[in-house]
Amino acid sequence: MSDSVLAIEGVAKSFGANQVLANVCFSIRKGEIVGLLGPNGCGKSTLLNLISGVFPADAGTLAFQGENMTGQSMDHIARRGLVRTFQLPSMPRRMTVAELLHGAAARGAGFGSLFRRDASEMAEIDGLLDELALSHVRYLPAASLSGGQKKLLSIALALRASPRMICLDEPTAGVHPNLRHHMVGLLRRINASGITLLIVEHDMHFIRELCSRCVVMDRGAVIADCKPSELTSNEQVVEAYLGNARQKRAMA
Amino acid sequence: MSDFIIHVTIMSGLYALLALSLNLQAGLGGLMNFGQIALFACGTYGAAIAFHFDFGAVSGFVLAVLAAALLGWAFASVGRNLQADYWGIVTLALAEVIRIIATNEDWLTGGAQGIGGIPPLYAGLDGQTRQLVILATVLLLVLAAGLFCRHLIGGRYGLSIKIMREEPQLAASLGYDTIALKRQLMAVSSVLAAVSGFLFAHYVSFVGPEQIDSSETFLIWAMIVVGGLGNNAGAIVGAFLLQFTFAFIPFVKDWIGLPSEYVAAGRLLLTGGGLIAFILFRQSGIVPERVGGRRYV
Repeated sequence: MSDSVLAIEGVAKSFGANQVLANVCFSIRKGEIVGLLGPNGCGKSTLLNLISGVFPADAGTLAFQGENMTGQSMDHIARRGLVRTFQLPSMPRRMTVAELLHGAAARGAGFGSLFRRDASEMAEIDGLLDELALSHVRYLPAASLSGGQKKLLSIALALRASPRMICLDEPTAGVHPNLRHHMVGLLRRINASGITLLIVEHDMHFIRELCSRCVVMDRGAVIADCKPSELTSNEQVVEAYLGNARQKRAMA
Repeated sequence: MSDFIIHVTIMSGLYALLALSLNLQAGLGGLMNFGQIALFACGTYGAAIAFHFDFGAVSGFVLAVLAAALLGWAFASVGRNLQADYWGIVTLALAEVIRIIATNEDWLTGGAQGIGGIPPLYAGLDGQTRQLVILATVLLLVLAAGLFCRHLIGGRYGLSIKIMREEPQLAASLGYDTIALKRQLMAVSSVLAAVSGFLFAHYVSFVGPEQIDSSETFLIWAMIVVGGLGNNAGAIVGAFLLQFTFAFIPFVKDWIGLPSEYVAAGRLLLTGGGLIAFILFRQSGIVPERVGGRRYV
């Protein structure tokens, strides 16, 4: 376990009487691409929110690179290198894509950077825009981008925050299939540069193509932790995903 | 007549400093501060209290700046868990608390009578020369403050503040401590307001609680809304436009032949009416905020 980047132990979370997560345990090793799967309402997004510090866990610990992050604020966790994207990224109306990318690097952007020029960063941002096929929209207000472009932009923003690990919340939702293929390549390259990835996703093809490992959740608990190719032979996973279909067939 | 115009220009300049300060908070940072006049009060009372207790003008300036920075910091701290609109109400209330303290703590602030006889600026000079030198000082300060604000808004710091203004969760997810950003921004912009207050106190030689009425805050708001929220040039244009319009209301009144009690009403009508007209018909103001600065094109 010494090479684990993110260790989740016994994490629980309730909203009022609704227990969303109960005793979730798993860890992610450095350099892995892990898919986080499960039916709607199984607690994936809540887990992502706990990991990134949107709200604190009721119980259990979250450790990132050996540092206990339980109860830490979102910005603290992000500064330590654990950065996330959002399922429905909301972008500023009165900032262009280029401005947003410039501003996204929080490290060294504090009050001390007041008199620093940033021409040297132009090359990095140009490269990112090229890679994500966003060069032609760089002068547009970020909020005016399409849903798919916002997804791509949010990956670029996460990269600007010098991450060690990125948690992606449904990166392909609303993205054109051609672009989806492009995104697989992009995420592989990001991973090859040493960044660990945790991907919440519904698209099985995407997961199979990209991930080395899958964590499957159902009703707030981890029910499987295996290779993507083993998913279909796991009875619990099949039950969680197809249970409803079977019941319907039985009732018919 | 020329003395009068010089006076109005000086007052416009002092208001321009206040408007630049509020523009940093509201235009750049999206912080709906309705207690701006309390930060101005730190400047006026800093000067007045230092004079009252014989500390000297330099310590008065230091006192004014420190008090304002501290109050700005406190404003931002109070608001850290509040939504923008509720925070605005809190700032309005805090500014009123400060005005009431200024009205009642006679030993410190002179109470309702205020503190008079504050030594004027450039006391060695006389008459119109003195007025002109004050005018030059104020205009230079407005220029310097405008350049400083432009630098702040145009640089990386301004970009991080804009992300915080529009998408606070995105800012936090990128590693920005949004509360720290708000505190810094409030503290820095408060200093501008305090400089304006300090100069005002020494210019008119009198400081009293009626100068820091909450309606003054809304006058400054009207200036930046009319000028263009988020644009420094807009803040300066708005301040001069409103001050000059107000200054010439009495002449218009004479020209139309209205009684003098209509002057104050005319001012209110223009502030309120102008504000409503701009919010309805030109929300971005005379000089709108620029999206996509030259530096990032």
